[in-house]
Amino acid sequence: MARISILNKFYNAGPLILLYYLCISEVDTNLEKIFEIFTLNFQIILIYFWILKRPEIMANGHIFLAGLINDVVMGFPLGISSLSYLIMIFVGTYVRAKSVNTTIASDWFTFFIAMIFSNLLFFSLLNNFSELSFTLSKIGYNMFFTLFTFPIFWLLFNIYQMTFVGNRDA
Amino acid sequence: MSVSRDDFSIAFRSALLQRGGAQKFSVLSLIFLALLIFFLDVYGVKFTKPVRGFINDVVYRITYLASTPTRIFPQVGDNISSFLNVKKENERLKAEIEKYKSLELNVEFLTDENKNLQNILETEYFNKNLSNILLAKVLVDKNSPFLKSVIINKGTRAGVLKGMPVTKDNYLVGRVVETNYLSSRVLLLNDLNSRIPVTLDQGAQAILSGSGSKNPILEYLPEDYEIISDINVFASGKDGIFAPGTPIGKTNNEGLIELFVDPNQLSFVTVNLNIQNKGKL
Repeated sequence: MARISILNKFYNAGPLILLYYLCISEVDTNLEKIFEIFTLNFQIILIYFWILKRPEIMANGHIFLAGLINDVVMGFPLGISSLSYLIMIFVGTYVRAKSVNTTIASDWFTFFIAMIFSNLLFFSLLNNFSELSFTLSKIGYNMFFTLFTFPIFWLLFNIYQMTFVGNRDA
Repeated sequence: MSVSRDDFSIAFRSALLQRGGAQKFSVLSLIFLALLIFFLDVYGVKFTKPVRGFINDVVYRITYLASTPTRIFPQVGDNISSFLNVKKENERLKAEIEKYKSLELNVEFLTDENKNLQNILETEYFNKNLSNILLAKVLVDKNSPFLKSVIINKGTRAGVLKGMPVTKDNYLVGRVVETNYLSSRVLLLNDLNSRIPVTLDQGAQAILSGSGSKNPILEYLPEDYEIISDINVFASGKDGIFAPGTPIGKTNNEGLIELFVDPNQLSFVTVNLNIQNKGKL
């Protein structure tokens, strides 16, 4: 019984561990070595999905901390990734509060809106308050691939949820 | 209509302020905290720099440890294949040693000749600078679509300062843009923010600009200058930071620069400590 409980805790912590690991390790989802323009922001997909489906396993404080770590590793001004992640949480929580039944299509559409707000804030702060320069094409590719890989990860996370975490949706 | 507006405001407020269960902090409070941290960091209040430096050092070390599996597994594969080829490798190395032995005498002669010529041209500094070079290990090489940089394991404690040039095998790699006590961030030549003055084979001057992709580009070339392939590009040293003549790369068919050192394959680099300390070149 105790073993099952430990396993459940581990499975529940899985998405959070993955988020921390992606932020702190060298593992990245910028696959430019494979295809020059293929970059995606996996962290926001991860956050958005779990905030929609099981917000209790993605605590806001942890996401905030993961954002700070991401800023240090990436060399961005501190707090900018946290802000971007918090916008994803905000939109996700709002959508969750307003919707009864969610489908992959509705999640995909609301993810697009959340990503627009989140990236708008991220890049406007980066553009106005830091010396880093970036091209619009890079941002465009990043958003495009993040958006179009969302359904794939939605399905994978859904399988994980069904298999290991359990569905507690209304 | 008013019911719908109420619904909206309830959901909006709940999304911003909701706490309880696993959520110990509301989104709104964390947004304020993130904004506070952001502006403290950006406007560089006196105490934030050492704090940020300390956080950087700690996080970079943890990142290095956390990335160990991703470093070890490819290395194990390489080690096995190199073990299988050890006999062939040994024979090849023996042949190479013989070749280099014969070249050594020539090198000695050319070194003396080079020193004499440098004395005549009063460019002695170049060799002097080479004597104060610091070897550093690349701790973190996280690929980002917006910032091409690496973290090295030497910081202000070892004498590294902002702006110092970084090389690998005497080829220019980038420059130090952020220093902490135990680590530093090196901006690579292919980053969008990188600009350095260069000289081409035929003596033309230009600015090498990072493009965000693997190959930097040349800007501000002389009018009517036509870029052909295989032109060598060196640092001109006009900025007083990079040693003149440090090789960087060569042009390809598309007019882009193929760097001599692949920026994605850095494991050890060298930092030239003398350049900025001297204040001149």
